Amino acid sequence: MSNPYIPYLTRVKSVVAENKVNDIKTIELEFKNEEDYKKFDYIPGQFAEISLIGKGECPIGIASSPTEEGTIKFTIKKMGTVTSGFHSSEIGDIIGVRGPCGNGWPMEDMKGKNIIVIGGGFAYSTLRSLIIYLLDDRYRKDYGDITTIYGNRESGEVLYRDLLEEWEKRDDIKVVLTIDREEEGWTREVGFVAAIVKKVAPSPENAVAIICGPPIMIRTAVAELVELGWKDEQILNSLEMRMKCGIGKCGRCNIGNKFVCTDGPVFSLAELKKMPNEY
Amino acid sequence: MEQKILKKDEIEKLYNELASEYNVYAPVKKKGNISFEKIEKSEDIVLDYLNSKIPPKSVLFPQMEVLFEYTLDEKDVEITDRQDLDQKILILGIRPCDAYSFELFANFFSSHGNWKDEIYLKKKENTTLIGMGCNTPRTTCFCTSVGGNPFNKENMDVFLTDLGDKYLVEGISDKGKEMVKNLSWLSDATDADVKKSSELAKQAEESITATIDSETIVKNLETNFEHPVWREISESCIGCGSCSYLCPTCTCFDVIDETDKYNNRGRRIRIWDTCQSCLYSLETSGHNPRDTKIQRCRNRIMHKFSYYPENYELLGCVGCGRCIAVCPANNDILTILHKVEKIEEKGG
Amino acid sequence: MTIETENKDIENSIRDTAKKLLSEKQVDVILGYSKGTLPLSSTPIIIRKEDDVDKLVWNNLTYINIARYLAPLMPQLCDNEGNPLKIGIVAKGCVGRAVNLLAAEKQINLENVKMIGINCNGNVNRSVIDLEIGEKEILDVLISGDDIIAKGKDWEQIFPYDQYINELCKVCQVKSPSATADTCVGECQELESIHDEFADVAEYDAKSDDEKWEYIKDALEPCTLCYSCRQACPVCYCNLCFVDQNLPVWFGKTTQLPDVIVFHLIRAFHLAGRCVACGACSSVCPVGIDLNKITRKLEEIVKKRFDFTSGLSAETVPPMMDFSMHDAEEFMLEED
Repeated sequence: MSNPYIPYLTRVKSVVAENKVNDIKTIELEFKNEEDYKKFDYIPGQFAEISLIGKGECPIGIASSPTEEGTIKFTIKKMGTVTSGFHSSEIGDIIGVRGPCGNGWPMEDMKGKNIIVIGGGFAYSTLRSLIIYLLDDRYRKDYGDITTIYGNRESGEVLYRDLLEEWEKRDDIKVVLTIDREEEGWTREVGFVAAIVKKVAPSPENAVAIICGPPIMIRTAVAELVELGWKDEQILNSLEMRMKCGIGKCGRCNIGNKFVCTDGPVFSLAELKKMPNEY
Repeated sequence: MEQKILKKDEIEKLYNELASEYNVYAPVKKKGNISFEKIEKSEDIVLDYLNSKIPPKSVLFPQMEVLFEYTLDEKDVEITDRQDLDQKILILGIRPCDAYSFELFANFFSSHGNWKDEIYLKKKENTTLIGMGCNTPRTTCFCTSVGGNPFNKENMDVFLTDLGDKYLVEGISDKGKEMVKNLSWLSDATDADVKKSSELAKQAEESITATIDSETIVKNLETNFEHPVWREISESCIGCGSCSYLCPTCTCFDVIDETDKYNNRGRRIRIWDTCQSCLYSLETSGHNPRDTKIQRCRNRIMHKFSYYPENYELLGCVGCGRCIAVCPANNDILTILHKVEKIEEKGG
Repeated sequence: MTIETENKDIENSIRDTAKKLLSEKQVDVILGYSKGTLPLSSTPIIIRKEDDVDKLVWNNLTYINIARYLAPLMPQLCDNEGNPLKIGIVAKGCVGRAVNLLAAEKQINLENVKMIGINCNGNVNRSVIDLEIGEKEILDVLISGDDIIAKGKDWEQIFPYDQYINELCKVCQVKSPSATADTCVGECQELESIHDEFADVAEYDAKSDDEKWEYIKDALEPCTLCYSCRQACPVCYCNLCFVDQNLPVWFGKTTQLPDVIVFHLIRAFHLAGRCVACGACSSVCPVGIDLNKITRKLEEIVKKRFDFTSGLSAETVPPMMDFSMHDAEEFMLEED
């Protein structure tokens, strides 16, 4: 029998600041045991319960793609005791990881389709995982056109700047970055994500839209998509809830009869509409 | 004859024999409350009781439980798993409603996602139940409306019926039958004994006065999420959570790390939690999906009579009535459920 | 006058006053007690229509302090826009004390509250009765003359009211609310100060320090940290209770004795000078801990040090929340 509450032990390999105000960092973790890394078989969109043993645990979306072998990455915003602890961790520190948890993005179902990835602010972390996977040489041909729209309040908030600039140069993905207001030196789009969605006007034909971000961004972006003819089954969302165990046992992340940590966190808009409005 | 008799003055003998092999838990009376505790001497056992204040879920799912222990040392952490899950546990004198709740617990802890709660399940595997029928169900008992019965023997290993000065002993499961066989000193039951136990069972079932129409309730709850009845039934609730703490089917818990900095060690524990607490679903961002009492009161009822049935086709309530007895504001679940029954199909 | 007849009088006066307040539109709702579904309970109720006033009862089973619903204000006591309704609250002494205290602490606006004052004759001590009756179900409880009669399936037991009244009620000095301008209708009294012998604390006081510590440990041992006491308390209304803070974490959450004791002692300190001795905390405790042994002792200390009793005035802020140049300081400097 294996105690599902015992984490794998990993060591911090690097800590990288992602935004100007330094409250979002990406930590890279190396499993202490090679065996454990093999067991940690994940797909984009899943999350893990990571802990500072002695401080606490929190559910964080996995920012690395399974195609980036050797280590796993998490992008963490400094909000409370445990996340502050992650931010001040040093190379070599031990961090516990339990998972992978959740259902992840439906990589199989999305094959052959065009994919629109819409993100806002800090929520882009699991979308990073998704896009790196999609762009991987082994898998790119399985999917149609890929477009990503990523909005932030200001340019200093844009995560994974270097990575995005690399993607902009590629011809197998269309990258549209936007910030809310004009800024000196910013030559790309300006405007809220919903407005950019309207401008880009992705076609719902054989396509899937993935949206992650603050509730208001999701609401307005979804409204634009619906206007363009997108159906509820084609729009996917990744929900956040307060979680403790991450494995469907402690009970607190329920929405109706579903648990966000196991039946989700990815739900289609069609599924969400059938669930009670308590999230 | 298969059925045996255990005389009431033989409880000590039974305990001594069981205690050599099992950790025996039975009802004891402490400061006026009945609860299931580990028995050190047989005089503490109380079998002449209605039902315990704190449900026997506390034996396998204690209020505070260690998930694992750890030692912290400079740049390393060492984790020690639970080592004590192989102990054999015996719960004596458990009521049918509570025995059924163990099944519901195990059902929940082994479903959803890729992991089972091995801690609970391992303990349950090593647990034997010697239960007892309820000769005098209370006015707050409604087990018969939720698939139970005061003499339901299904989820027991051994079943006792209180015949007055003695107990009728029946082995139910294979494990139980084996156990009864090994208690070779038990005298045989007579036909009269068996007849009396059937009469008591019938009387007990007929004496249950509290009933609910669970079929209608489950049906009505499918569509009335925003019905004004929720505002009505949450009026007097003070949000204390006693109903969930003392509920035999409530499984929610919180997880906390406790560290002894001075000795570089600690443990990750889980403690009972309740969806009635206003912080239960509070997210770090400050957003709280259930920040009103109305939503929280609704969640408890929905969980037991709508979400659980939706997932497992079983009701999530065993009708023990503890929540009714303990609620400080007398927010009686039977009153709530009767109101839900009366919601008309169209709007209502 | 027996307890039974007193109850009838009180009940009638509650109903008459409630009806009057509703019909004259002095209040929008009445908050009171109604018959419970269990023999030893009553259910808080909100009355909105004159026709429903007969649901209000007075039966010596009023364990919840209904001032609890005033801070934070229950959504049912606000209109659709969230503005507070005018509330008429059935106020025995301790409920009135809580209302006054909440007003003094600026948690409620007395303009929206009318206290229907009554001369309370106490509550039945249900834990002692339960203990004496043992493992038999009580099917009915009624007050007959000056006796409490508990009935079961085929038995009946009589408990003289004066012996089986709640310990707190036995020593209660504030049976009806302290008059607060025109907030109080019905039985109210002009009260600036009370004389309390604290007879119920005498037994505890007589113990040595070691005995006191053993006593507290023994009393708190069954605690499961369910926080019902906090939820039931009318003056516990913090948005973020110290229990739930995690920056810093004030105490561990296990049911081990150190954690339990820390919770109760910190909460007791938060109640010093504010507790209204209503006994709700003790009656709601699922494991029957008598928390009032601790709170009453604190009340005695506050009375001695500051000559203050909570809830007699809607203006005076409790001493632990206030500072006056006249505050005695010797207890800070001398060894006690």
